[in-house]
Amino acid sequence: MSKAVKIILAGEGGQGVQSVAEIIAEAANEQGREALYIPNFGVEQRGGVSVAYLQIGDQPIGAPKFQTGDIVVALSDRAVHRTRQYVGPDTVFVYDSGIEGVEDAIPTNAKKVLPIPAIKVAKEELHPRVFNIIIMGAVIKATGVVPEDRAKEAIEKKLGYKFEKNPELRELNFKAIDRGAELVAGTL
Amino acid sequence: MSDKPIQGEKRVFMTGNEVVAYAALAARAEIMYGYPITPQNEIMHYWTRMAPKYNREFLQTEDELSAGFTTLGGVLAGKKAFTATAGPGNTLMQEPLSMAEAMRLPSVVVVQQRGGPSTATVIYSQQEVTLTTLGGNGEGLRVVYSTSTHQELFDYTIKAFNTAWKYKFPTFVLGDGYQAKMRESLTMYDPGEKGIELIPAEAYLGKPGTPGVDRPPAHYRNTYNVEEELYEVLQGHFKDYEKMAPEVTEYESFGVEDSTLVVVSHGVVARAAKEAVRELREAGVKVGYFRPITLRPLPEKQLREAAARAGRFLVMESAQGQLGRLLKEAIFGAPVEMIPFYKPGVGITSEEVVDKVKATI
Repeated sequence: MSKAVKIILAGEGGQGVQSVAEIIAEAANEQGREALYIPNFGVEQRGGVSVAYLQIGDQPIGAPKFQTGDIVVALSDRAVHRTRQYVGPDTVFVYDSGIEGVEDAIPTNAKKVLPIPAIKVAKEELHPRVFNIIIMGAVIKATGVVPEDRAKEAIEKKLGYKFEKNPELRELNFKAIDRGAELVAGTL
Repeated sequence: MSDKPIQGEKRVFMTGNEVVAYAALAARAEIMYGYPITPQNEIMHYWTRMAPKYNREFLQTEDELSAGFTTLGGVLAGKKAFTATAGPGNTLMQEPLSMAEAMRLPSVVVVQQRGGPSTATVIYSQQEVTLTTLGGNGEGLRVVYSTSTHQELFDYTIKAFNTAWKYKFPTFVLGDGYQAKMRESLTMYDPGEKGIELIPAEAYLGKPGTPGVDRPPAHYRNTYNVEEELYEVLQGHFKDYEKMAPEVTEYESFGVEDSTLVVVSHGVVARAAKEAVRELREAGVKVGYFRPITLRPLPEKQLREAAARAGRFLVMESAQGQLGRLLKEAIFGAPVEMIPFYKPGVGITSEEVVDKVKATI
């Protein structure tokens, strides 16, 4: 029985980690796979680190949360500190290379640590608003939980109504998936 | 206007709160009464969004006391009525639900447990087990289903209405904040198409005919002048409850026959236990899994058998021994060692179950 792939996405509110987790989960479900996604939630309306727990497999998923992720993605300095606890010897730890002052907090027990310039690529090549979609591209490439075309279908389903009004947005989002995938391709 | 919110079978991917709203629609619930509290708010939100399309109703009350009592009012009027709550709201709900026990009103309550005591966290716990099974100034004359998957949230919400209207005891679906907020797949269906007969509601008051001549008088009381009269009425309730117990009791277990240790858990924690016990058994570890689905009444007979076979229970729950206490009462005198693994207000992962079993066995 192959085990479910366990993914943690963490960032500041507004970075869109929950949307990414939800879209990946829905893409996996559409494909007929088992998926479970749960956000952290509390009484804070703002100010907390946003963490998404996502599992995708071929058997019914067990507990909604887990101790160690197969891939842990941290998108802010606070997210790096918050997600260290989910890293183990089999974890690929991904963080944005633009985050400053976290050198001492980067986990040393990971299978692999992967800094990627997602914020920079979003700002300079695409658009800051697709930053989270770049991350999504990187996550699905690194884990193989859903194929890229499925991810694009899921984005279409979610944002299609916006694309109707502005077709350039579609292209921007799909490019973001591709660029995200490129950032991790060949590194794993 | 379609009468059936769900046609055929439909695989969906949604939050547990949304599942409950759909299940209540599918069960032909006619009205929800409610007061918002996290983490169950979206049950109300989805219900109010969908209800008008299917001629169903909703009333928001000023608090949970009122939500509970208006639910009973709906039932007295012959409506399939329900409410949903959590935490401090569940505390307030016990007063009306105690009246439901007294007057045998088939009210349905969905609880999504949050941390306690008091406001504590809005997130998750299994700390409302004592309250939900035995709350109120009464004897716990109620049925409590503890669900563990979205499929079960759907199935047991439908079942809760049938249990309530068949046996006339208040019936609870006990979920939690994780189940409320997480998304996973399930298959929704119309109960009728699946061969599930929905027991119709009937009015308690205003029935045709002359009371005492054509039919027994509708005499629903929660007040008695004489001690002996109360005693006598309660004996009738206890008898009905005892007769019902074997018919509604549900549990799930495997690997109990050949094990010297059985992991006992309920609700969402049972997901971790199930995954861990399966994995351990595949690796040759002799450990069993037992999960009561009804926390009230508990599957006492099967628990006693499992206790006698294995000799040791590892009791795992997100509370400081609330399930543990129920188990001790249910199997009092059985030759079993109860090993606690209690994490009040915090989730339990399958990794933790594996580690604890390995350390214990």
